[in-house]
Amino acid sequence: MEFKKKKLANGLSLIGEVNKSAKSVSVGFFVKTGARDEPKQINGVSHFLEHMLFKGTERLSAFEVNEAFDKTGAQFNAFTSEENTVFYAAVLPEYLVEVTKLWIELMRPALRDEDFNIEKNVIKEEIAMYKDLPSFDAMERCRSLHFDGHPCGNSVLGSGESIDNLTAEQMRSFFVRRYAPNNMVLACAGNFDWDQIRSIAQSSCSKWQKQTVGRKLEHCGGSKKKERVEKSNLAREHICLMSPGVSAQDPRRFAASLLGVIVGDNVGSRFFWELVDKALAEAAAMQFGAMDGTGTFCSYIRCSAGNVPKVLDIVRGIFHSLSESGITDDELRKAKNKVLSALVIENELPMGRLSHLGSNWIYLEQYRTIEDDINAIRAVTVDDVHSLIGEFNPGDFTQLSIGPAQNSS
Amino acid sequence: MAERFDKHILKNGMVVLGEPMEAVESVAFGFMLPAGEALLPEGCCGAGSVIADWIFRGAGDKSSRELGDALDGLGLHRAGGVGSSHIAIGAALEADNLAQALDLYADIILEAHLKEDQFELARQLAIDGVLALDDDPRQKVMLELRERFYPSPLGRSVVGHIDELKALTARSTRAIVKNNFNLSQTIFAVAGKYDFDAVVSILDSRFSILDTNIQHRASNIEHPASSKYTHLHNEGAQVHIGLMTETIKPTDEDYYNARVAVSVLSGGMSARLFTEVREKRGLCYAIGARYHGLKSAAGIMCYAGTTPEKGQETLDVIIGEFNRLSEGINEEEIERAKVGLKSSLILQSESSSSRAGGIGSDYYILGRVRSLDEIKSKIEETSVDSVLGFLRNNRFKDFTVVTIGPKCLK
Repeated sequence: MEFKKKKLANGLSLIGEVNKSAKSVSVGFFVKTGARDEPKQINGVSHFLEHMLFKGTERLSAFEVNEAFDKTGAQFNAFTSEENTVFYAAVLPEYLVEVTKLWIELMRPALRDEDFNIEKNVIKEEIAMYKDLPSFDAMERCRSLHFDGHPCGNSVLGSGESIDNLTAEQMRSFFVRRYAPNNMVLACAGNFDWDQIRSIAQSSCSKWQKQTVGRKLEHCGGSKKKERVEKSNLAREHICLMSPGVSAQDPRRFAASLLGVIVGDNVGSRFFWELVDKALAEAAAMQFGAMDGTGTFCSYIRCSAGNVPKVLDIVRGIFHSLSESGITDDELRKAKNKVLSALVIENELPMGRLSHLGSNWIYLEQYRTIEDDINAIRAVTVDDVHSLIGEFNPGDFTQLSIGPAQNSS
Repeated sequence: MAERFDKHILKNGMVVLGEPMEAVESVAFGFMLPAGEALLPEGCCGAGSVIADWIFRGAGDKSSRELGDALDGLGLHRAGGVGSSHIAIGAALEADNLAQALDLYADIILEAHLKEDQFELARQLAIDGVLALDDDPRQKVMLELRERFYPSPLGRSVVGHIDELKALTARSTRAIVKNNFNLSQTIFAVAGKYDFDAVVSILDSRFSILDTNIQHRASNIEHPASSKYTHLHNEGAQVHIGLMTETIKPTDEDYYNARVAVSVLSGGMSARLFTEVREKRGLCYAIGARYHGLKSAAGIMCYAGTTPEKGQETLDVIIGEFNRLSEGINEEEIERAKVGLKSSLILQSESSSSRAGGIGSDYYILGRVRSLDEIKSKIEETSVDSVLGFLRNNRFKDFTVVTIGPKCLK
């Protein structure tokens, strides 16, 4: 594997990891923009823009864009989070040039009114779809309650109301501010020729205008509020817990992700043995989520309404024993093995490599090999995890549950 | 370099398959146990998911906790699930730990403790899984659809039915394990980095026992009741539409024509359903169709989710697109469909888990493993004429439709 990088004069970062033994190659744009960068009245605009980029350019209609991708057999898509919008494609090496040129072209979209109006319906359908997924609904509401006014609590999709009120003009002006070359990374991983991709990017992207971009970074300790929402059509209780964690830039992120696995991996964790194995909850998981300048531990638990008091007692007990007695050597060893093998498996696919490569650049402007991450995970000690538990006290959480009306169960 | 496949048959008939992959450090393996829902006795719907949990609750000389810890200690990522024909159990892991993992899985398959107290917990989780489906209408609509589309028992819910789960006992479920964990009908597949001789030697030493007391059950295949439209009420935000229509089986000579046809309908974002339903009309966010094949029956399965007032138009446009397919397809559409199918085949071939799954199911359905080159050239051979010929000879007759949501459709 060979790492390559180049920064254009307008600030666009080009990075690549060449692996000649791969059968495929992945390419993507990582744009440092998401819900946390949105003023309240246009909440949802980053995600809407992600959709609009597929609607074409001055030269291409939406159908022609889809057709151009499909001609190459690319597996392509995009997603928007609280802080990043990522466009990616996995292709056979012979189609890489075509697909890279296409992505570059799409990064300067037409953003036409008529496409905007049709896509508004699709976005509203997506909002409705997630309303019918209570696990997602609970997590989104919990995030908003936890961040309590901090921009990381903004909804990625926006609300029916903010989307209704959004204008194409507002979107276009947000686009200019955020899709600036100095706020974007073009990354490539797998079997490809770096010089060729670099020269294509250089000749096509150099005219993009640099902008003044920024993001206010503030750590958030979380509101620790507790709320419950009733929905008459639900059968189960969906509980989300959130507490603060370290940021994506913090070297302790490896210890934090191991703590997440020890407490809440879907098998073999403390949640698993205490809640799922005993059939008190059918799902119970905790994950560490690193973000720009802040981070969270987020748990999702699903159980019957009748089991809620018992389940929450056990959860409190698990966190209490973490604070009192900590973790064991054996727990840490097993968690490391799981995380390490997941890392190896994930990175065998160019798509997995692309996502590591891009996010390391977005957050750290740093190239990290798989071995760097493997060594960082191996180096975590029980004391490292204990000091995280001491500092962040994951048992002191914000709690949001959604479930059936209480008198009906 | 040409692909290589490894194959060995143990004395008791258990098939061992392998596909070495040069560029990986991982290995994935899976056991396909002939205990899928369609092979279980009447009145036991959901027993598969109870069994898939119960067998991990203690095996060989290890308690449930010790077994879980041993699997975790190998850094193993469990995979599998219950299907119509098999319970699949397996994992992906770093290659060095394969031998130890196989030994643990041999315990799980051959020497599961199957204790009464653990049975109650496994059954409770299965019941909870069924109850939780009410909060996941998208998944539920597809399970209900399969059940109504396929002749019984092929479409039986892999999650289960509450009343039948409640009627299960440790004793009756133990009998199912005994009857259905039939090694002569079991397929083992491994892909990635492994030493085939070493794998065979472990499996040979652990699994080369002759089955006794196996009762081969021939299922009576019954066609489902004639009702073609079912609505299940739920006060959710969307109406979730599942639709399925019969098509040719994976063993049919027209299989690749069928796959290309489905890809024209819903392969990529320029395919017809996405273009007509989402791009032109803005009716849905999620819309897609795929080929769904069992060994003895197959269908084209479609899902769409939309707000209630758009439900009828969405269904009408979808059915219109299915029916319009045989009227004509242009060269470019066929080319895009073929490139899409070929490229997804190659992209998937880089993952050890998807290769292990692929060679196992090929062997079960076709009795042999297809090479990537064979599949590629079969896709290549299709043309506008062959796909249209297939569509015209196999017109979509009936559509089984299930909706879940606040409003029923016509």
